[in-house]
Amino acid sequence: MHPGTKRWRRKAATAATLAALAAAVAACGSDDDSGGDAAAGGGEAAPGAVPALSDKPIELSFLWFEWPPAQALEDFANEHYTKERPNVTVKVNTVPNPNWHDAIFTQFAARKTDFDIPILDSQHIGEAVTNGNILDLTDFVNENIDTDAYDPYLLAAYGQYPQAETGQRDPDAKMYGLPLLGDTWTMVWRKDLMGDEPPATWDDMIAAAQKCQDENPGMSGLAFHQANGSDAAAVTYNTVNGVYGGELWTAADKQIEGVINNEAGQKAMDVLVNQMKPLAPKGSGNWFIDEVNAAIGQGKVCVGFNWIAAIGGLLDPEQSQLGKTPEAIEKKLGFAALPGQDADVVPLGGMGMHVSKYAPSDDQAEALNFIKWFEQPEVQKMWAAAGGVPARTDALESPEFLEANPWNKVYAESVPRLRDMWNVPEYAKLIDIENTNVNAALNGAKDPEQALNDIAAEQQKVLDASGGGLE
Amino acid sequence: MAAPDSSITPAAPLVAPPAARRLRWLGDRGLAGLFVSPALALLLFLSVFPLLWALYLSFTDYSATRDTPAQWVGLDNYLDILKSSAVHDRAITTLVYVVGAVGLQTVLGFSIAYLISRRVRGRGLMTTLFLTPMMLSPVVVGLFWKFMLDTQFGVINSLLGSLGFGQVEWLTNQRLALLSLVIVDTWQWTPFIMLIALAGLTAVPRYLYEAASIDRASEWFRFRHITLPLVWPLLLIAILFRAIEAFRLFDLVYILTQGGPGVSTETLSFHVYKVAFLGFDTGLASAYGILMVIVVIILAQFYLRYLDRLREG
Repeated sequence: MHPGTKRWRRKAATAATLAALAAAVAACGSDDDSGGDAAAGGGEAAPGAVPALSDKPIELSFLWFEWPPAQALEDFANEHYTKERPNVTVKVNTVPNPNWHDAIFTQFAARKTDFDIPILDSQHIGEAVTNGNILDLTDFVNENIDTDAYDPYLLAAYGQYPQAETGQRDPDAKMYGLPLLGDTWTMVWRKDLMGDEPPATWDDMIAAAQKCQDENPGMSGLAFHQANGSDAAAVTYNTVNGVYGGELWTAADKQIEGVINNEAGQKAMDVLVNQMKPLAPKGSGNWFIDEVNAAIGQGKVCVGFNWIAAIGGLLDPEQSQLGKTPEAIEKKLGFAALPGQDADVVPLGGMGMHVSKYAPSDDQAEALNFIKWFEQPEVQKMWAAAGGVPARTDALESPEFLEANPWNKVYAESVPRLRDMWNVPEYAKLIDIENTNVNAALNGAKDPEQALNDIAAEQQKVLDASGGGLE
Repeated sequence: MAAPDSSITPAAPLVAPPAARRLRWLGDRGLAGLFVSPALALLLFLSVFPLLWALYLSFTDYSATRDTPAQWVGLDNYLDILKSSAVHDRAITTLVYVVGAVGLQTVLGFSIAYLISRRVRGRGLMTTLFLTPMMLSPVVVGLFWKFMLDTQFGVINSLLGSLGFGQVEWLTNQRLALLSLVIVDTWQWTPFIMLIALAGLTAVPRYLYEAASIDRASEWFRFRHITLPLVWPLLLIAILFRAIEAFRLFDLVYILTQGGPGVSTETLSFHVYKVAFLGFDTGLASAYGILMVIVVIILAQFYLRYLDRLREG
């Protein structure tokens, strides 16, 4: 064969291969085009009534992040729910906290999930709803849930989209989830060093922490979240922002610039960086939940702030140097709702249960049945007794809850004061902007005022662009 | 002469066993192609197709989580990235990291290899011990260094404290955080350079040193004119591998600093991760990744040409 012919054949073969690949690419691309009917987002609607349940063995799987409530939920559900549904095993899969959003949404991106019930942070709802990843539970809620039994804002925060005004719920809005675990920050203070009464205001708290630090060499005044990952540093700023009367945005017109960095916002950033940070232990600029707990348990700090659902270990003598029994530790630690200052708000934590659009239909039916079961008053009280934080008002006011842990009354008191962040689809970008800038300010990498102005400008840019862009 | 023994029967003529029946249309090249095709198909499926797919996405506004069709945006994604000050900042951070980490690893790796090569007893054991960090997962390395470098609870500061030094904010000080990443990466990957350098040093012909000894050449002269020129090309290959690896550093940043304080240790790869998985701007992230590949290919080409010239010279 002529060498030229060979070369020509090789080129032709290469061209054919590339053409085949291009066709495959085009074919994959056309798959996207078929997703038109879901383009509007909002997800499919779950039926009002729980569908017929399967008798086959089912593993009802959740996806959450690794922390004590995850194991508590799995144990609780397998102990109690399986009495009603013996063919069901509940599995709560967990990932490290910083991977939580990615772990859920990358599976949503694959249009196939290995979980039936994603446990979403309240702020993730907008992203999941807009992308059509979770079922619309409005009819299900209307038919199966006694909505009057809840503080309206708890239902709104963990299930409603579009977002509710702080403290309110829109009864006409669609519901995409129901509460699993309520949460907020508690203030933990050293009663043995600072007295039995908690500081009345935020300024008093800072002064008391300063005094305690001065009087106890080797101890630091404060411990709080400052890390770059998850929502750690951002929640800290948002909390102080709320205490000093600031706002994160005006939801109606999606305005952040000029709102978060107004006078109250700047005051909050100044207090955080120039008054609170100097009282925190050296090198605490990457602290999150575990490090704050460790600092309190090791007696390194006078006052600490942490999520209520994460502080169970504080009274465990094996994890604490403050006493050899829970009672001995409790004599040294006090738990109180956050002090107010110019306003009376506390951060909303906790998460809701949702149903994956991509779960098999038998699993979706089982998920709906589980949610219905879980929201019953007696189950909510059992959940409270098992260490969970329920959402129903009757459960929150029950002795089962209030007497289960010394910090539970803090949550019950805090419910009317809760304030959430934005739950818009751009949440992940907004929180990253705030986290990195607040973390930079806390660690001296950026001037605090500049950091806040950068937050305002960059977040506004994201909201204005409604999605794409490099930040 | 002895008569031939008529009782010995002559050996049967050697006949080749019949060849396996082959299809007429299957020539040698065809058969070779048939054997290679599974591997080729796997390569196309796992490497070439994703690359082409990413290339296609890089020209669209596609988002993996949104159920909306991809819209063609031409070169917009590429222009956005090239004009972004955030990307420029991350590029500088990455460059500082690559130069710092690979430079330190080269000096230390070569020095250790040089010392080990001169020692005969216990050389194997020492080499094995030095190689241990390289065998660990970067995530595991990151996690235990995170604990060790913790300002309050870490063993490094505890050790420094017992020696009378103050607490050092390894991971939360803007100036030290990147240095900490360099130190951890150096701890893990210096053995790689050491291993390559050791191979080069072992291959230097002994007679060259003997001739230099006869000429009473100094230790420095021997190193400068015999050891280094012969090991240098091999060392450059090791540096190339390490530089490419360091350029796409992600895991240590993710575990140790999350890019902080602020964004001061955010490398290009970490930034791509944020674009791809926080914002799910898949098209933009694809363009970002393609640009990073192009940069690596161009730099590697320059480097390989220099290597060729070195070999020819």
